[in-house]
Amino acid sequence: MAALLTPALNAAANPKNRSEVTQTKFDCLNTKTALILFAVAEAVLGEGFWKKAPRFLETVDDFLNYQRAEQRDRFLFALLIAETTFGLTIGGSFQSFSHLSIEDRQEILEKLRLSNIGLRRNIYAAFVNVSASTYYASDLTWPDLGYAGVSVDHPEILNQAPPIPWRTDDPRPIEK
Amino acid sequence: MAGTIIEGRDVADNRTLTPDFCVIGSGAAGGVCALKLAEAGFDILVLEEGINIRQEDGPAPGQKRKMLNEREVDMYKLLYQEGGTRLSKNGAIKIMQGRCLGGGTAVNWSACLPPRLETLDEWQKRGLPFTRQNLDPYLHEVVNYLPVVRNDKYNTSARRFMQGCARHDIPSENLPNNTNMCRECGSCGVGCPYDRKMSGFVKWLHDAVVLGANIYTDTKVDRLISSGDQIREIQAHFIDHKSHSTKRELVVKPTKGVVLAAGAIGTPAILMRSDLNLDGRVGKFTHIHPITMTIGKYPEKTLPAYGVPDNMWTPRFGDGPTGYLIETGSFFPVMSASSTLQHGTELHRIMGDYYATGAISYAHHTTGFDNKEKYGTVELDSNGDPQLDYKIPRANLEPMRESVVMMARIHLAAGATSVYVMRNPPLEVRSEADFDDIKEIDFARPQSATIFTVHVMGGCQMNKNNKRRCVNNDFTFGDMENLWVTDASIFPTALGANPQITIYSLALWASREICERYQRPFKLNHQGGDLPWPHY
Repeated sequence: MAALLTPALNAAANPKNRSEVTQTKFDCLNTKTALILFAVAEAVLGEGFWKKAPRFLETVDDFLNYQRAEQRDRFLFALLIAETTFGLTIGGSFQSFSHLSIEDRQEILEKLRLSNIGLRRNIYAAFVNVSASTYYASDLTWPDLGYAGVSVDHPEILNQAPPIPWRTDDPRPIEK
Repeated sequence: MAGTIIEGRDVADNRTLTPDFCVIGSGAAGGVCALKLAEAGFDILVLEEGINIRQEDGPAPGQKRKMLNEREVDMYKLLYQEGGTRLSKNGAIKIMQGRCLGGGTAVNWSACLPPRLETLDEWQKRGLPFTRQNLDPYLHEVVNYLPVVRNDKYNTSARRFMQGCARHDIPSENLPNNTNMCRECGSCGVGCPYDRKMSGFVKWLHDAVVLGANIYTDTKVDRLISSGDQIREIQAHFIDHKSHSTKRELVVKPTKGVVLAAGAIGTPAILMRSDLNLDGRVGKFTHIHPITMTIGKYPEKTLPAYGVPDNMWTPRFGDGPTGYLIETGSFFPVMSASSTLQHGTELHRIMGDYYATGAISYAHHTTGFDNKEKYGTVELDSNGDPQLDYKIPRANLEPMRESVVMMARIHLAAGATSVYVMRNPPLEVRSEADFDDIKEIDFARPQSATIFTVHVMGGCQMNKNNKRRCVNNDFTFGDMENLWVTDASIFPTALGANPQITIYSLALWASREICERYQRPFKLNHQGGDLPWPHY
């Protein structure tokens, strides 16, 4: 169904333009789905998320290449459904999703999260997981977490913990 | 003469090859079979859908694999099925499976446990030939060859777990690993850059290539072409660095046979695409170990990403058809963020609160031996790609709640000020008074909680019951004379333990069967010593 309806929804979608979104060439997204994804990510992550995850759209677009094609199509379809219907059906507004205020978009997310409809909860999970994991993949967010980075960049973090001797009667070979 | 690893993405022509054996999949089972059949003098070709992990020094001191940079954003997409985003059909369960040279052995957390005796007993009831006694030489071979060792360097999660268990009189145990001079980067799950984890590409596959085996990576098998009781041909195509077809094809015409070792989702998918579904039996009764997870928040900084990830566990709750193993781990920003089911300021608060001072424990759940339960089914979607239709069995719902309560209790006893439970809406437990909220979690309802699995088993099972049997006790498939299945898809039930040691051992057994068929030598070269599991 997603494959059949996606072209029509894509034609109908008129997402809000954002000055932050300048990329025009994508593997899997297009300009419209990129703008909708930006609006979703802003609702999940808050205003200004872009500053700490400047490669957000590029990273998601790259990941979509590796997804199972049917699952990728469903994600793109969910973006278009969100844009064209959620404003009215969930938000009670005639504005489409990306044109709503960030507070209204977050209210829609909250309703999706608590919905009794499994499909809506799945859309919530997809939006939140994609946005949050891509954001925290960015090095610029790591200081907020206290994450020092990977060992190949920071060899000083290796071999810190002294061993705790295990049972003296355990005959197993011990790694050095 | 040594073989080579050829990266399919760079192959500019269509090719036809005629090895003695074609091994499909380079994970735990494929690596073992490649080596043992190469040792027996066969001409071996291994096909791997994922990328090659080149042996090339990196810029960091001791870095042996330049491409393994530990960064989640790069590694999940390169090393995991579907870029690390594989989900069950209903979207409820995240399925993390390796897809690269070495398969799951490249990305697992190095945990080495033997098959549960209780599971082996159940398998015998179902007609499988494996016992603790007759598996013993294979277990010794694996343990000595890798090797499997006891590592006494514990990260914060493990240390806190030991403290909490001690206060509740729960036995905590060292969990052996297949590591050698581990540098404690914590990055087992995104590939060891230092070759200190004994992954398939460090051991089995490496040694197979030395003995002449050839490996094609970036090579996706489309179907097997059969005639009568023989597989005549394997049709495959090469994929590029973004996982799209390069339009170049590979045809393999093995002179002796095919070893199918593409994992418990990949193997049934290839068989179904080949119209070898055995009247619909292939893909049925697929098992996982659903994972429940908790993160305790402690007063001090914990550096949860670093240290040996998985060398501490408790066997206390592991018995029975719905038992569970609580183990400890390491965790990283992307992994954590994709599990929170949160948005807005709460997302950032939880990430900030629980990452810097967090310690993790998680439970693998055995999904029972119920003959009336359907468990999971591997299906092909409209593009011929596999998906797992799986719903959490009713019998596991209470044990899953119980495991969360138990992990929360251990965290609180170890000094955690709160425990994050990945429920939707999120739940923070601060005392035993909050446990009632855990007891109401409905794990059967998709997105009511974050559920992972990293172990997929069954779907092409060995069984005496001919309504379920796909693989015979000599590992041949159906009525096929020259097709062997050697991976975890042959399991008739969930294993109830981290499966890599069992898969290695059964693949050794399967290799012996193949060598005997062709009257070639089969030898276990690493016998003797004690197994690293006390009381086993």
